[in-house]
Amino acid sequence: MTEMLDIAGLSVSYGGAQAVDNVSLTVPGGRVVALLGANGAGKSSLLRAVIGLQAAVVDRLAIDGRDLAALPPERRAAAGLGYVPEGRRVFAGLTVRENIEVAIDGAAGPRAARVADMLALFPDLAAKAGERAWRLSGGQQQMLAIARALARRPRALLLDEPSLGLAPQVAAAVFSRLRGIADDGIAVLLAEQNAARALAIADEAVVLAHGRVALSGDAKQMSADDDALMALLA
Amino acid sequence: MLTVQLLVNALALGAAYALVALGFVLVLNAAGAVNFAHGDMVMLGGVAGVTLAAMLAGAGLRLPGIVLLPLVVLISGLVGLGVAALGFWPLRDRPPAAMFVATIALAAVFEQSATAFFGPEPRTAPAVWDGAPIAIGGITLGRQPLALIVVAGVAIAGVYALLEKTQIGRRFRAVAQDRDMARALGVRAVHLVVGAFVLAGGLAGLAGALLGHQFFVNAGQGPAYMLKAYIAAAVGGWGSVPGALLGALLIALFETLVSAALSAVWAQALLYFALLAILLWRPQGLFGEAIGRRA
Amino acid sequence: MSAVPAPFAVFMRGPAPLLIAALAAVAWIAVVGDSYALRLATLAATQALLVLGYQLVFGHAGALSLAQGALFGLGAYVAALLSLHAPWGVSLTLPAAALSAMLVAALVGAIVLRLETHYFALATLAVAQLIHLAAVNWEMLTGGANGLPGVPALSLAGMTITRGGPMLLLAWSLFAIAAWIVARVMAGLTGLALDLAREHPPAAQSVGIDVAGLRFTAFVAGAGLAGLAGGLHAHVVGVVSPDVTDMPVMVGCLIATVIGGRRAVIGAALGAILLTHAPEWFRFLENRHLIAFGALALAMVIVAPDGLADLLATVRRRLWPLPERTSGAVLAPPAGVARRSVALRVEHVGKAFGGVRALDDVTMVLAPGEAVGVIGPNGSGKTTLLNVITGILPAEQGEVRLGTESLRRRPAFTIARLGVARTFQHAELSAATSVLDAVATAAFARSPRPPRDVAGAEARHWLLRVGVADSAALRCGALPAGRRRLVEVARAFMARPRILVLDEPGAGLSRAERIELARRLRILRGSGTTVLVVDHDIDFLAACVDRLICLERGRIIADGPIETVRRDPHVRQAYFGRDDAAAEP
Repeated sequence: MTEMLDIAGLSVSYGGAQAVDNVSLTVPGGRVVALLGANGAGKSSLLRAVIGLQAAVVDRLAIDGRDLAALPPERRAAAGLGYVPEGRRVFAGLTVRENIEVAIDGAAGPRAARVADMLALFPDLAAKAGERAWRLSGGQQQMLAIARALARRPRALLLDEPSLGLAPQVAAAVFSRLRGIADDGIAVLLAEQNAARALAIADEAVVLAHGRVALSGDAKQMSADDDALMALLA
Repeated sequence: MLTVQLLVNALALGAAYALVALGFVLVLNAAGAVNFAHGDMVMLGGVAGVTLAAMLAGAGLRLPGIVLLPLVVLISGLVGLGVAALGFWPLRDRPPAAMFVATIALAAVFEQSATAFFGPEPRTAPAVWDGAPIAIGGITLGRQPLALIVVAGVAIAGVYALLEKTQIGRRFRAVAQDRDMARALGVRAVHLVVGAFVLAGGLAGLAGALLGHQFFVNAGQGPAYMLKAYIAAAVGGWGSVPGALLGALLIALFETLVSAALSAVWAQALLYFALLAILLWRPQGLFGEAIGRRA
Repeated sequence: MSAVPAPFAVFMRGPAPLLIAALAAVAWIAVVGDSYALRLATLAATQALLVLGYQLVFGHAGALSLAQGALFGLGAYVAALLSLHAPWGVSLTLPAAALSAMLVAALVGAIVLRLETHYFALATLAVAQLIHLAAVNWEMLTGGANGLPGVPALSLAGMTITRGGPMLLLAWSLFAIAAWIVARVMAGLTGLALDLAREHPPAAQSVGIDVAGLRFTAFVAGAGLAGLAGGLHAHVVGVVSPDVTDMPVMVGCLIATVIGGRRAVIGAALGAILLTHAPEWFRFLENRHLIAFGALALAMVIVAPDGLADLLATVRRRLWPLPERTSGAVLAPPAGVARRSVALRVEHVGKAFGGVRALDDVTMVLAPGEAVGVIGPNGSGKTTLLNVITGILPAEQGEVRLGTESLRRRPAFTIARLGVARTFQHAELSAATSVLDAVATAAFARSPRPPRDVAGAEARHWLLRVGVADSAALRCGALPAGRRRLVEVARAFMARPRILVLDEPGAGLSRAERIELARRLRILRGSGTTVLVVDHDIDFLAACVDRLICLERGRIIADGPIETVRRDPHVRQAYFGRDDAAAEP
């Protein structure tokens, strides 16, 4: 199994605060790695550093062997990194269709085909393809953010708290999608505060506390030991 | 009839103001800040028109004004590139007020340069469509206002098509909404921002060449045009493109009608009072603030 | 180490060399200069006053006003009209000019200062244009495009100040007095309060600073200086035309501020001198001199945003370095001054954003002297609760009481003055301010307001109590996050609160730093202050609070002793998620 996403020695500090302290983790293609921890533990900072929206110091940052450390965000995206940020951040004034289209490079013909593929994959979005994104519900926006990132055929997908603000059933639907995405061969790094939900679909888990890796291992084993987890999370 | 002529004049003025406001709001969307030198790009377009016509006349050629327009647009686009390089790029990570102040300095440089090389006297830009007024259905209409409406209309329609129907336009709108997210999706935001400046320059220059026939061209007129665009953007809804266009038309209509009813001076004064009233009671403008709406 | 003896360095770093140089220059020009040179130097003084006023508005208060030039013109017209039409008032022209500008600024400012920057700038631009239109077109009053010629020389207390040498001396004397007053005020707590109000308005509110009121005062004071400058200008030039209200005056003022320096009073003089003399000094560039000047301004914005004054200060610091004072007087606050702590009551508070209920019927009570922690997952409403208590957001339902007083509809700075101090998730400290000054700023809103050195002494006391006294002379930006957090806590205590609200104080701190912070908080609680702490780390909270409250989706789901809440199954569920989630496909 290839290590699709390879992170070694990542540190993020701003204003004197060490948000992420020398974290290393790898995400193989086709697997879900859950990144757990309380708010402020460093999950968001880590993901933002990986996509390049946050300055960081790193020993190694690579996707499918290709070094990303010196590249700006747009080139990391071009190298196969997908990003679904906290709060969805869909382009509110653009339609659902346009949100997906802007993410796709290349000529108009293949682009239109790819948009059609994505809409077929997310029928709820297809029903609202011509609506402006600000009119969608939270769950629909989450799906749109995922579809938008997927449209680029990423090799690794970063998600930051996708269940935030979503009703339980909606969150469940989102998570089952994510499992399906991983099953298609994409490396999924999923930051979540809702540990149970994330562990339910994950293969491995890494728990951050105060910027450092406090615990890591097989997801099933970890979800069985919730005393240890609770102590770390709160 | 007097009223129809008046409306046509108002529409022509509105068309030119809309060109100015369009470029202004595009840069506002792209860079997130006010470009105080925008009005001077209009002025430089007029200067380019006058200078090109003079050069051609010196060579013994007399061409219709419309032929010069593409060249004016090209030159003005380059000016836009210069503004991006000096007023935006070095300050791209600083708060918007820094670009505001820097472009004020840049506007002063443009104005002084124009005065130095061009002289303080107002000049007339060549008419786009020369000749006697046309009679349509018993109404006499001037050629220049008609030409202005047509040229501006074509340019605005072109920009509209660019923004709504092309991938570049979509990506531009995405960058305006959330630059970092666009970058995380592979969009080269900086290229688009610089492109916006170039396009804004071209549109501003075009407006300057069009307006320069009826309203003359002089080095100090930059801030007045910038103010029109600024007001149009604020009244129409900060960052909204259709809002800015509508705002520009409203300003032109207001100015023309009040000028005819009272005087040009009262038109200006009442415009400012109206603006202050709008800022107090409905600061988000007619269409509401388009910039900064998060998902 | 410099070989220059310390007293000389102290002298060279002080204001004396600048004053001597200025006096020498003025004397030289007065004696040797021809009438043109005299006039230019006098005009430089009027511009210096104008820029000094703009420093108050733009540099200190951070308001990008574009009306300063028009207010200058207004002052010029008032002075001219008064001296031409009311000979009895001829010695009142300068005060009249200043007051009329202040009046207009007060009317305008009351309305537009609350607008955001891009609207505020536009509104001031509109006002400026209106003033200019009036100057050009209200011919009966202003003489229209031709203006008002024949403005007589200034008269003070029966004495005529002739143009030339006497006017030069008067103009620069007025600038010197105004600059001295401004420098003195800014050297006190007012300067610190303006800095914080400009850079971190919420933090300023949280220590009781009336940000809006301060901005208004700065705006009106700046206008007064503009009017005064305009009045002087009218008497120097002898004729007032609409040009004095036109955009170039404003642009020149802004450029001079940018080049000279936004806040240092010497910058006003430097910028004004350069602005007025540029045509002379750059004459070798012929009529391109103003292009060079504008280009210089652009370069300064990009490269040296703090202007020539800052460059000059840097040079002086390098040439004549002085050791930093690390220790100084320490003054504990008088015993009787500590306010009796009161109960904080939150009663059925509700708040919604769009369709989302951020707070839903939240009721809690903090007894006097109690320490309570608030936990909850992301999005549970913890920060919203703090914002409602401190007055940053209004509650839609319910209310918050401090003792018996309701905090309903009170602005944040008033609530702070009533005794609610707060720290923020991201330490809101100005990076360039020293640690000591940052803490001392909290004394600004006290009445009576102490002098800066007394405030500094008390600030040292609080820095000792939180354990960062050795960093007192450092700039806040140079400290690691843990120590910045402690500085913020010290600032909050400096405000003599009855209730201290801490927003995620442990965020971004190392384990050791958190342990230290919890320990310090425990000690500081000994003074009887009621404390409310929002955080995630239950261990940290266990070390500094007595009781825990847990929020989820805007509602309180647990309220009790720490261990009880920790083991509460609802709390575990809120954080951990449903146990049956694992069974879903």
